[in-house]
Amino acid sequence: MIYLDNNATTRVAPEVFEAMQPYLNEVYGNPSSAHSLGQEMKAAVEHAREQVAALIGAADPGEIVFTSCGSESDNWAIGGFLEQNPTRRHIITTRVEHEAVRNLCEHLAEIGCEVTWLDVNEIGELNLDDLRRTLRRDTGIVSVMLANNETGVLFPMEEIGKIVRENSDAVFHVDGVQAVGKIPLDLKNSSVDLFALSGHKLHAPQGVGALYIRSGVKLPPFIIGGGQERGRRAGTSAVPNIVGLGAACELARTFEEHERIERLRNKLEDEILSAIPNARLNGTPDRSQRLPNTTNISFEYVEGENILLHLDKAGVCVSTGSACHSATKQSSPTLRAMNVPYTAAQGSIRFSLGRYNTEEEIDYTLKILPEIIGKLVEMSPYDKELRALTMRQL
Amino acid sequence: MHLSRAWKSGIITSMQRNSSLTVELFFNPKHVGEATEPRFIGRSSSFQCGATLRVSLHIDESAQITEAKFKAAGCSVLVASASLLMDQVLGKTTGEAAAFGQQAEALKDKLGALPVERSGCPALVREALVSAIQEYSDMARDEWEGDEALICTCFGVSERRIENEIESGGLRTIMEVTKACNAGAGCRSCYSLIEDILEEVNREQ
Ligand code: FES
Repeated sequence: MIYLDNNATTRVAPEVFEAMQPYLNEVYGNPSSAHSLGQEMKAAVEHAREQVAALIGAADPGEIVFTSCGSESDNWAIGGFLEQNPTRRHIITTRVEHEAVRNLCEHLAEIGCEVTWLDVNEIGELNLDDLRRTLRRDTGIVSVMLANNETGVLFPMEEIGKIVRENSDAVFHVDGVQAVGKIPLDLKNSSVDLFALSGHKLHAPQGVGALYIRSGVKLPPFIIGGGQERGRRAGTSAVPNIVGLGAACELARTFEEHERIERLRNKLEDEILSAIPNARLNGTPDRSQRLPNTTNISFEYVEGENILLHLDKAGVCVSTGSACHSATKQSSPTLRAMNVPYTAAQGSIRFSLGRYNTEEEIDYTLKILPEIIGKLVEMSPYDKELRALTMRQL
Repeated sequence: MHLSRAWKSGIITSMQRNSSLTVELFFNPKHVGEATEPRFIGRSSSFQCGATLRVSLHIDESAQITEAKFKAAGCSVLVASASLLMDQVLGKTTGEAAAFGQQAEALKDKLGALPVERSGCPALVREALVSAIQEYSDMARDEWEGDEALICTCFGVSERRIENEIESGGLRTIMEVTKACNAGAGCRSCYSLIEDILEEVNREQ
């Protein structure tokens, strides 16, 4: 299988698996126990904490708390802040957040918080003046993603942080899940207070994440219990997973092929856009403002799910921008926020590359894709529109 | 091999697990395209999922469907359903085809049970088919040159016949008329005409 869905999840790296393995069989013990077995486990957890801190540039490993996933980290950051500061109920976030933040904020709005949703333009960028305008002295928390999971568009975390600092006393939370391991980070020299990450997006197993809590930022415990994680998140540590996350962070920090992945992504993007008449890019064309591994392309007037299934049959895994949830199939809120017309949003495909992709895989994808799209174009009832599109390009 | 893999994929499982026919029809749909002229077109689309569909039929002088084609931008279930329905109506008369297309259960035995979120897909195809037949019926009614005005072209029922049925049976509703003489049992483009006749005859009495 050619796996071009690395923003959904990644394969566990062999190095990560190897690091975890002992903790799944011969090494055991509860890291809270005082005996040597327990202490060995504890040391492994602390080592992993250092590895995570090193990757994201935390000043102190003590700022890292392990959680079970990115969504937990996001929920804890925002929910915890509100628990701590029940009177500061003004939240600012964006319309293109991952569900973990978006649905949480929608819920918070229902139970009495005031949520300001920042819009994006048609290439997925925020207008920072909107942020300036909506920040108030009583704004409690600003929660913004660093990299969009669907389009890869990056938000200017530094600028946002500065604006938040200058104009309010709000806590600044960043959902960094999609960015960690893909772009360099240096949180100690930033104005980020809270930062969520998830292991399985960077070749660690599913079921482990972390929340960075800047020293001095107060957050009540997410789970109350036995006082693990210095009382901040109780529950017996998932040592094998935590070790896996640490190893994955180490692997990402020492990864030297970011440019190769970016080159492959660029090739894929360029050639699709030039070879396929009804293809259009979603998200800023300025690649320095996007993750190096992601390209989101709409194939206008055809159905994304059809493309996905044909690619899957041909051995290529991608994802669509729309999903048949429960009773209605809706195009992604991200694409809707970007005002992508629905005939384009319907046919959007996200290609997200990773460290294991090869040039041959990209070539193969580029070889089979035009035929698949061609077949679907032939089937499309939008003949007039498609003809006009081809004419325009001639 | 890939096919069996695709089975397990979340989306394909929503195309009925035990119907390899559905999967086959999605990957290799039949009857894609446009019927030869003169053709009758029916369209449907869903605001819920954004799917759009066009059915085109070529119909001979004996009201038999000799070509049934579709074009679709919609999910796999829609594509498979359209392929299947075109297959089913090919060779049928417009009346038979429309009557078939009106049945909510029309493709059920072939498609099997669909998950809730896809249950509307076959209906969308039936809607486009019926609307293509309506277009044909309206034309055929206009062009009809017989002695008695033709009301239901699907089943060749004249105005006179319908009036007689209403009078003799004391009929009050379209449903009763359909039961009595088959008028309205197909594309239903004659519904408003039957309605008018019902009103007129019943007023006179
Ligand atoms: S004309 Fe089609 S049902 Fe009467």
